[in-house]
Amino acid sequence: MSTEYRKPLQWGEQDPYRRENTAIGMWAWLAQRVSALAIVVLLALHVVLTYKPFLQFLLLLMVTFHAALGLRVILLDFNWVGVKYQRALIWGLVGLGLIVMAATWLSIY
Amino acid sequence: MASSSASVRNVRIFRYDPQKGGEGHFDHYTLEISDETTTTILDVLLRIQREQDPTLAFRYACRVNMCGSCGMVINGRERLACKTNVSHVPRGQDIALRPLNHFPVIKDLVVDMDPFFRKYEEALLFYEPKEEFAEPASIRPDSRERRNIGLNTECIACGCCVSSCTMCRYHEGYAGPAALNRAFTLLADSRDGLFEPRLTRAMASCYNCRTEFNCTEVCPKEISPTRAIKHIQWLAVTHRREQPRLAAATGSQESAATPASQAGKTDRRTFLRQVCVGVCGVGSALALGGVASIAAVGPALRKTPRRWVAIAKLADLPSGLATVMMNYEVKSGIYMQSVSTPVLVSRAGGEIVCFKSSCPHLGCLVRWDGASERFRCACHGGTFDRDGKVLSGPPPRPLDRYVTKVESDQLFVEVG
Ligand code: SF4
Ligand code: FES
Repeated sequence: MSTEYRKPLQWGEQDPYRRENTAIGMWAWLAQRVSALAIVVLLALHVVLTYKPFLQFLLLLMVTFHAALGLRVILLDFNWVGVKYQRALIWGLVGLGLIVMAATWLSIY
Repeated sequence: MASSSASVRNVRIFRYDPQKGGEGHFDHYTLEISDETTTTILDVLLRIQREQDPTLAFRYACRVNMCGSCGMVINGRERLACKTNVSHVPRGQDIALRPLNHFPVIKDLVVDMDPFFRKYEEALLFYEPKEEFAEPASIRPDSRERRNIGLNTECIACGCCVSSCTMCRYHEGYAGPAALNRAFTLLADSRDGLFEPRLTRAMASCYNCRTEFNCTEVCPKEISPTRAIKHIQWLAVTHRREQPRLAAATGSQESAATPASQAGKTDRRTFLRQVCVGVCGVGSALALGGVASIAAVGPALRKTPRRWVAIAKLADLPSGLATVMMNYEVKSGIYMQSVSTPVLVSRAGGEIVCFKSSCPHLGCLVRWDGASERFRCACHGGTFDRDGKVLSGPPPRPLDRYVTKVESDQLFVEVG
């Protein structure tokens, strides 16, 4: 009679309702990685295809996300902002970034 | 009253039979619940085991959120079965119960917590005083140190945080949130005698944290292991100087430290040092460059007096469009700089207009394109008509014009 342990389950594996319950900090982490990849691709496209407003807009948007979320981690790393504000930081910094981005965009065009 | 929260709920429970092996599956049950707000998930499990399926395996002991045995994934989130009420599970959802992540499953909802406690032990979970105390230490609850450690000592080792942290999957050697939280409570304790070996161990994995906050979100004791890890990262930075000593201390005191892990630590240290040197180098280069360029550029930014430069003899200018090179010298900072720039001259009969050749958008060179009869900037595709008005593209205003004059058959433009 064999008794075998099942290999460890992983996050999201046979895991009902996990997506709805994913915490915002996890999305922030994911969004920062995805925006990093997007920046690499969009930057290359931007160099090859100069002056495509749509491309520029996307690039600026991704840079905004990446910078805002990166600043959040830096603020948390050095305990300049307490961890209990981690969620407020996401909305606050992304919001601030979008405002700065809008201002930049409007001043260029 | 009770009837308002009475209900029939579908329950899905992960089943794994060690004698059959395989991936495991979900079994479905339905259960009548008389009052959702006073029925815990643990009650649900006990009732199913008693009334429907005696083979169901799960773990519990205290039933009052103290022992940490009943940690499991309840509807996509790590929680204690005894702390979660049926009413916490949204009405529209089944109650879905599944074992914790990152631990081998023994049977159904029961996992093997050995890996958890091994990591806990590796973090040196015990307190060892620096010196013998004759008296019990008096700890002021309002002291900074005690407040910093806070309620992080309340961990019940339920494993919820480790299950929620996706980094525990991707980094074999990662101590995980619970062990690092434990290390933090002792590292922040000034009476602790094992600071150095403990820090060396914690440092080896504190950078695996990606600040996802999953552990903080799920901890049933409302501890923030993230805060603990940030504190350790901070210690790692502030104790950079001691690190060689720290590693040596571990080497002699802890025979458990293998050469391989020490090599890893050396690499990390060298890496950190290189990063520091790099950052300092780039920083000072930027500072020096900044000072130098302000010194060089500053004077150039001062208004230079306007003056006239002759660019062509009238007789040489064709009617229509012509591009003429303008050469003159300008004092820039401490040296004379010769400027050579094309001027776009448009001559229609007696009227002469001179446009600057730099695009009002971002300053690229604008050229006359005879084929399409317009000025064109290659950088971002701006075009201008014969009068310098914008036809298309990003330029915010028409081409800039020079002030011109004609004197003794020479065309002059004003620069400055
Ligand atoms: S830190 Fe919280 S979630 Fe992690 S083991 Fe301790 S009590 Fe459980
Ligand atoms: S049974 Fe002890 S914490 Fe749930």
